[in-house]
Amino acid sequence: MKNRITDLRAEQGWTQAELAQHAGVSRQTINAIETGKFDPSLPLAFRLAKLFGLKIEEIFLNDQ
Amino acid sequence: MQARNEIKASVQLVLWTLAWALTLALAKFGPELLWDEQQVASWAAVAVNFVAGIGWIVAFTRFLRVLDELQRKIMQDALAVTLGVGWVVGFAYVVADGADLGARDVDVAVLPGLMGVVFMIAFAVGRIRYR
Repeated sequence: MKNRITDLRAEQGWTQAELAQHAGVSRQTINAIETGKFDPSLPLAFRLAKLFGLKIEEIFLNDQ
Repeated sequence: MQARNEIKASVQLVLWTLAWALTLALAKFGPELLWDEQQVASWAAVAVNFVAGIGWIVAFTRFLRVLDELQRKIMQDALAVTLGVGWVVGFAYVVADGADLGARDVDVAVLPGLMGVVFMIAFAVGRIRYR
């Protein structure tokens, strides 16, 4: 699953560690999501969407 | 808050792990070295080790709960590999021994030792994989 986390994070001026702190996860988790190695759970996807003020489908793109 | 919970759960897990290991050593070596094979003392040591083991399991469960979802996945993958290796190797040995295939007598401590090594390798692989 592709996502726009890297771009959205850059727009906010956040580091991975700062986004991780806001989302309540580790920096490694944010990095793995950004690089497409790990798909977040629905609750985490909702938290990320809320942080960026967007809908989930505006952040995560189904590439299948 | 997340980090604080993780630290707290990690410390509790370390303490329970130490308690389990120490009580195991006491139950193993105590009868010979400390209380001259008295049955009551030996049973008490085994009971204390059993209780410490239950505490260790609870602490490990709590530790898993406070991890974030990627860390939990890495840990669960490593535990799955460890359980699989322990299960497969353990039963392969039992079958080989039962069929008189010349399987040497092996110290029972070898299996948990092997599982510990497998877990550490699987955990490291998981950390590298999602780096």
